[in-house]
Amino acid sequence: MKILEIKNLSLKSKKNNILLLQNINLILNKGEILGIVGESGSGKTLMGLCITKLIDPNIFEIISGEIIYDGKNLLECPEDYLRNIRTSMVSMIFQEPMLSLNPVQTIQTQLHEVIKLHITRNEKEIDTLSEEIITKTGLADIKKILSSYPHMLSGGQRQRIMIAIALVCKPEVLIADEPTTALDVTLQLQILDLLKDFKNKNNMSMILVSHDLDLIKNYSDHIIILNNGQVVEEGITRDIFERPTNEYTKKLISSRPDNMISSEAGNVKILETKDLSCRFALNNAFFSKNKKYFTALSNINIHINSAETIGIVGESGSGKTTLAMAIMQLLDYKGNILFDNQDFSKLSEKDIRKHRDDFQIVFQDPFSSLSPRLNILEILSEGLLAFNKNITNEKLVNICSSLLTEVGLNHDMLSRYPHQFSGGQRQRIAIARALSMKPKLIIFDEPTSALDAIVQKNILELIVSLQEKYSLSYCFISHDLKVIKSISHRIYVIKDSKIIETNSTKNILCNPKSDYTRSLIKSSFLS
Amino acid sequence: MNKLNKYSSYWIKFLENKRNKYSLFIFSFIFILSLFAEVISNDKPLVMNIDDKLYFPILMTYSDKHFGGYFDTEADYKDDFMTRKLEMKNNWAVFPFNPHSYNSINLNNSKPNPAPPSKYNYLGTDDRGRDVLARLIYGFRLSVLFAFALTAIGILIGLFFGALQGYYAGKIDLYLQRFIEIWGSMPELYLLIIFSSLFEPNIFLLIVLLSLFGWMSLSDYVRAEFLKGRNMEYVIAARTLGLSNTEIIIKHILPNSMVSVITFLPFRISGAILILTSLDFLGLGVPPDTPSLGELLAQGKDNIEAWWLSISTFLVLTGTLLLLIFIGEGIRESLDARS
Repeated sequence: MKILEIKNLSLKSKKNNILLLQNINLILNKGEILGIVGESGSGKTLMGLCITKLIDPNIFEIISGEIIYDGKNLLECPEDYLRNIRTSMVSMIFQEPMLSLNPVQTIQTQLHEVIKLHITRNEKEIDTLSEEIITKTGLADIKKILSSYPHMLSGGQRQRIMIAIALVCKPEVLIADEPTTALDVTLQLQILDLLKDFKNKNNMSMILVSHDLDLIKNYSDHIIILNNGQVVEEGITRDIFERPTNEYTKKLISSRPDNMISSEAGNVKILETKDLSCRFALNNAFFSKNKKYFTALSNINIHINSAETIGIVGESGSGKTTLAMAIMQLLDYKGNILFDNQDFSKLSEKDIRKHRDDFQIVFQDPFSSLSPRLNILEILSEGLLAFNKNITNEKLVNICSSLLTEVGLNHDMLSRYPHQFSGGQRQRIAIARALSMKPKLIIFDEPTSALDAIVQKNILELIVSLQEKYSLSYCFISHDLKVIKSISHRIYVIKDSKIIETNSTKNILCNPKSDYTRSLIKSSFLS
Repeated sequence: MNKLNKYSSYWIKFLENKRNKYSLFIFSFIFILSLFAEVISNDKPLVMNIDDKLYFPILMTYSDKHFGGYFDTEADYKDDFMTRKLEMKNNWAVFPFNPHSYNSINLNNSKPNPAPPSKYNYLGTDDRGRDVLARLIYGFRLSVLFAFALTAIGILIGLFFGALQGYYAGKIDLYLQRFIEIWGSMPELYLLIIFSSLFEPNIFLLIVLLSLFGWMSLSDYVRAEFLKGRNMEYVIAARTLGLSNTEIIIKHILPNSMVSVITFLPFRISGAILILTSLDFLGLGVPPDTPSLGELLAQGKDNIEAWWLSISTFLVLTGTLLLLIFIGEGIRESLDARS
């Protein structure tokens, strides 16, 4: 039974007249989950917002189309009617649970507000209803949760609260826009299972918007694949994953990283950490004597061999980035870091600077890792100039253009500025900058997390090919086990600032020892 | 070449707005004109011919004796002796547009001082018989130059301390911030009053005293920009490439934190003009014979019936401040990346 239908929906941006959605057609049946997949900028979020007309009319203009719900075209309905429909009939969950909750109101106030608006004004009923819905979301200690403010809850708890608010009116349709993207992987499954459970019990329909193919594959009945505001393929999920017909879909499905490494790791130790610990002062008070500390790393022992990639996988806040910063000698630490058998913890900052060409780092966000006011030549030549002030301009241009060719970019792009490049191209520039120093070790700190799936695969391929060519050592940090396993020889699992498991990639995946690793594997759909 | 393009695009954006364009052109025109105040408004002739000899009194000092007088002091080209001499056959003199200097007193005035506008004094005289137009021209020049100097010094000090605090953060930041809190709570006005009674007040003392306190409002913004900038990934990347701290500050963080400096620039300049005017108005500023807008305003207050004093000064002051604010808003808008 059809519950929601979109017919020929087209939408353009008022500012530059670009078509953002073109002739979208979709049908949502009762009780099913419809998955919408697409890269960033494909219009998937906009489409969700269109359904309840939440788009800003000053920026966007709907050119044509109908959205039919309950026999009415929602696009022509008055605002009063729509306001009633949102939440009570067609509800939404957004990606960022911190931004969707009001930070200065308690959970109780925010939950009660919705109930008062749509269901009842009777105090007692409100209390029972809100406790009931919180229980259903699987949160314990309801009283405490209700009286707390958003910042007192964890990301997972906040997202559960968002779900409670969205579902308290028992809507017929739920639009979940990347509901788990901001959460740690192990939480993803819990949240999605919760949503699915709700859907089954209340015979609700759901639109699940995501960029994560595995997630959509496991949870949706039908899928729609969006590219540049157009539906490129639609159908039953299993059919599409088994027999994709469209070129773009094929590319998207094959973009999931497989095993990419072919080279063998060497056996010379390049880097070794001995009991590496790191802590941050929490209260930076002027006169206080008993300072409190947050331990970011405790007794980390890792080593990297030549031409080897180690993967470090862990959730946000587990200390992955701190480890990278400590290895890069960018913060104070305890313990020893041996690079080529030289103990860096004993060197002064000036002496370390002389060795900086041996180890380089590539960051997560290619938009903030390149200075917006320097052009590509200046960015690439910076390190070279720091080590050799007398290098001639001609030689610099030569080196930099060959670096660009190395990372698969056109060498005549040297005079451009970072904002003229796409995310993937910027990440290539960042890699070229790291390569410019001819390092032995490169640390990659979530280098592909900000990129779309297809671009991600290209970057990973580049990284692997560079390793084969120059037998570089890599330390690859990510929260995404799928990426880690595709390019690492060995994996370290880090949790709560400790290394809890380490083994070769194959061994970790086949027989994980700790429960945490097992849940990581499960939530990455690798089991 | 690309860099040039970037700056010229800001420039084009600035000029696109007519208000910005006219404000900037009017202000620069008046300011450049005022730099040549000696040629526009002076009691010495630009050039004169006496007994078939050319003299350039505006460039050189001639004594009274030179022209057959009795004194070794500089000739007064307005007194009876010189006037008579100039009226002789073949003798002539070209006076500037406004034939008064800022402290030349019109002794031949038929009306009591302050005298209303007449064909000798286009905007009248003040209560000591000095020409108001001349004092306005010189006063404007002094105000603007003073403001430029104060702003430049304030920005340099503010940038230095802000950068120091923001980039090194931690202990340095903590101690400097406490210092600023203490330093900033010193009563600036009382210090000025005390110093003006201890020393002969002059413009340099004013600049020094005001600079001691003026940098703090700017250093806060620079500090915030640097605190933000030091943790940007491209700054960390520069550190891993082996750049020294000075190189990182100059190349990476400073250009990105100049926005606050440039945005505040015109407002700081107009603020400085206002400070000088207020201090002069209160009598704490420059010495009495220096031409100043504040002193003229004070005279206007004392001689409320002499409308030419207060109205003309008011117009000059408001016009200057208004032009500067317009220019400032224009700069802010054209540097805003979002528009």
